[in-house]
Amino acid sequence: MKILVCISNVPDTTAKISFTDNDTKFNKTGVQFIIGPYDDYALARAVELKEQHGGTVTVLNVGESESDPQLRKALAIGADDAIRVNTEPTDSYFVAAQIAHIASQNSYDLILMGRESIDFNSGVVHGLVGEMLGIASYSPVMKLDITGNEAKFAREIDGGKEHLSAALPLVLGCQEPIAEWKIPNMRGIMTARTKSLAVVEPVSVDDSTVLEKYALPAPKGSCRMIPAEEAEQLIALLKTEAKVL
Amino acid sequence: MATYFSRRNLDFLLYEVFHATELTKYPYFEAHDRETFDMVLDSATHIADTLMYPYYRDVDRNQPELKAGKVTVHPKIKEFLTAVGDAGLIGASFPFEQGGQQLPELIGSCMGFIKMAANNGMMYIGLTSGAANLITTFGSENLISTYVPHLLSGKWQGTMALTEPQAGSSLSDITTSAEPLENGSYLIKGQKVFISAGDHDAVDNVVHLMLARIKGAPKGTKGISLFVVPKSRLTDDGTFVDNDVASTGIYHKLGQRGTPAMHLTMGEEDNCYGWLVGEPNRGLNYMFQMMNEARIGVGMTGAAIASAAYYASLEYAKERPQSRRLNEKNLLDSPQTMIINHPDVKRMLLFQKAVVEGSLSLLMECARLSDLVHVTEGEEKENYELLLDLLTPVAKTFPTEMGVRAVSEGLQVLGGYGFTEDFPLEQMYRDIRITPIYEGTTGIQSQDLLGRKMTIKNGKAPRLLFAEIAKTLEEAQTYDELKPYAERLRKETGRIQEVTASLLPFAMQGNIERFLMDATLYMEMFGIVTVAWQWLKQGIAAKKAQLTLGDTEDAFYESKLHTMKFYFHYEVPKTKGLATRLLDTEVLTLETGKEVIL
Ligand SMILES: Cc1cc2nc3c(=O)[nH]c(=O)nc-3n(C[C@H](O)[C@H](O)[C@H](O)COP(=O)(O)OP(=O)(O)OC[C@H]3O[C@@H](n4cnc5c(N)ncnc54)[C@H](O)[C@@H]3O)c2cc1C
Repeated sequence: MKILVCISNVPDTTAKISFTDNDTKFNKTGVQFIIGPYDDYALARAVELKEQHGGTVTVLNVGESESDPQLRKALAIGADDAIRVNTEPTDSYFVAAQIAHIASQNSYDLILMGRESIDFNSGVVHGLVGEMLGIASYSPVMKLDITGNEAKFAREIDGGKEHLSAALPLVLGCQEPIAEWKIPNMRGIMTARTKSLAVVEPVSVDDSTVLEKYALPAPKGSCRMIPAEEAEQLIALLKTEAKVL
Repeated sequence: MATYFSRRNLDFLLYEVFHATELTKYPYFEAHDRETFDMVLDSATHIADTLMYPYYRDVDRNQPELKAGKVTVHPKIKEFLTAVGDAGLIGASFPFEQGGQQLPELIGSCMGFIKMAANNGMMYIGLTSGAANLITTFGSENLISTYVPHLLSGKWQGTMALTEPQAGSSLSDITTSAEPLENGSYLIKGQKVFISAGDHDAVDNVVHLMLARIKGAPKGTKGISLFVVPKSRLTDDGTFVDNDVASTGIYHKLGQRGTPAMHLTMGEEDNCYGWLVGEPNRGLNYMFQMMNEARIGVGMTGAAIASAAYYASLEYAKERPQSRRLNEKNLLDSPQTMIINHPDVKRMLLFQKAVVEGSLSLLMECARLSDLVHVTEGEEKENYELLLDLLTPVAKTFPTEMGVRAVSEGLQVLGGYGFTEDFPLEQMYRDIRITPIYEGTTGIQSQDLLGRKMTIKNGKAPRLLFAEIAKTLEEAQTYDELKPYAERLRKETGRIQEVTASLLPFAMQGNIERFLMDATLYMEMFGIVTVAWQWLKQGIAAKKAQLTLGDTEDAFYESKLHTMKFYFHYEVPKTKGLATRLLDTEVLTLETGKEVIL
């Protein structure tokens, strides 16, 4: 089985976010980057499926060289090889087109990724890739098993789960608890250096969006403690100050 | 995500101050690069975040228990040991041939820092890797293949079994005996006290690296040998049988309660076997090679607990409103200010930060030196070795003694809440207190510094240190902002030389007691200056980074420089008082012929 896992390179969830150049550029100084947490679940499940069924796991990122440490980490966790499409990931359509291009050159049985990245959170790349390749896509997938040419999986829906089965190939957007995050062990870390990380140039895609500027949410106000016996005061404040009631 | 240490600070020290990747130019470390280093630290952080930090309080509140000779520990300990074993982190710095990955000690020491900051009550793996290291360095092939793979997998526990009731600081008084048997093993008999992780149910076996005296061996340190004494021993038919190491007591401790400290009795039924490591009567020598590493490890624990305390108190200080600022005292209608805005609270926080980051830097300097000792030869190697020998007692003592004070200030930041079980500071305060005691008390480290390390090879070690400091001073002089601090540090090294010169004549006259009478105060002064050197190094790196960044501001570097200045203006002046005492001719702690302490 050939599995492609698409990972995003995103700021650590505790990173301080700020912008430069009139709020048009994300300030990366001092920010630590990680594999997108949902992508990390997809990767963990891909490695488990490879252990069960054999085959290969290729990990793919659309991004500049700053993503290389994350690709190396994916190799250390158990991917066999890595591809980086050397370009800035400008929007979801652009990224999906690059992924679809790579996927169309290799016949993968499964294309896994997170249900969304945690930086821009568009949550549409899996759908777009499926559409571009003409294969079915599902999200958010929280359980996945393969028997022969068939995938059995569960999708989170409002208030519950739906259990589905479909023939491969598939594009799936994944989330917990599809697998537990894996941490690279020492041996994996050392062998990652010997695995291939191919850097390929992007295909051209028409610009569909233009970024005007970023804005941060208003800072959180300070916390106010109201004793439990003064619930009426709490309700009044929720109405008059917080204006949420 | 981790709130008990700063990864940014670790990266700064690793790559901007100590240039960790330069080690990979040596063939021994060439399989590594920055990405392997970062991934190792990421994995350690993940384990610390998920299996250690969440149980910090829990392992303290649910202490190990000894019942009917069996020791039970917190159930998470087993999960933790399995995770670190599976991740290959216990023996990561061991050579490839011995199942390791030749990871530099510099990175290994940072892993230790992260884990101990997350939960210092889980001491287990440092002991195991120390024991495995002793066996691989000095043991026979047979001992290595029998024990080391199990230890590195996390399934067996290693210990350091030195202390006896009458032999704590004075290991020359050890009496545990070893009687040679015809089959090459030894019959062991005696008692050991305070043995950390000396018995527990999270592992299948416990392997003691034990000091004992072979029957008829010379008195004192020259008659001590090192043995492997397992809890269960392997028989010729491949099965394990009980080796007559009984858990006869468990200590109820002030802190670090997640790890049992055991009283062990060997050979009550004349059925305890041990296997000699290396040659007879060389045991203390072997142990000392390991003890240097262990001492740096204890220093690291001190810095790590102080780090966790710093971040806990910093968070509190930013959120706790209390009082108005001193200049706004009469504005009673204005809201209370956050306590971080009071100069005295700022002072406590800066003190903590200065101690934590200064200590960590000194410890990483030592770890890097131990890597350089490993990969160099001849005079270069000898010089690194001498420097490391000189700095080791300081790197054990400053982070632990000052760490205790830093955690105390952290607790103080929380006011009354710091004294309650609602916040972790009270536990940190209890936990850190052991660090100036075990692995050689501060008194013993101080005698080692002044009595041995300052004088070996006619004072070559301090000469090497001052030469290193001079290099830093020269570089610092090229930045206007750092010049006054370089000048101050130059004066401080002069002060150390003056005090040392005034004490050495006592040693030459053979009056050792007078020479070492105030060794602990000498250590305090020496530690302050050594850490000032580390702060200046960090100041240089921060200045360089600021110049590269140009107009882009980065608060991290500003904070570094500010803390460096704080250290020089608030801590360094203390050497003056210490030097005054050390140069004082009035002697009040030696024999006076009269009872003076009543
Ligand atoms: C929690 C805990 C865990 C431990 N873990 C281990 C372990 O795993 N393995 C192990 O072998 N040991 C272990 N120890 C033992 C520890 O190393 C000793 O407690 C320590 O070395 C001090 O020995 P002592 O307790 O006998 O104190 P003593 O040696 O009696 O010292 C008492 C005081 O006298 C001072 N003193 C003693 N001799 C001199 C001198 N010559 N000059 C000046 N001052 C002196 C000391 O500095 C100290 O202040 C542990 C101890 C504790 C409390």
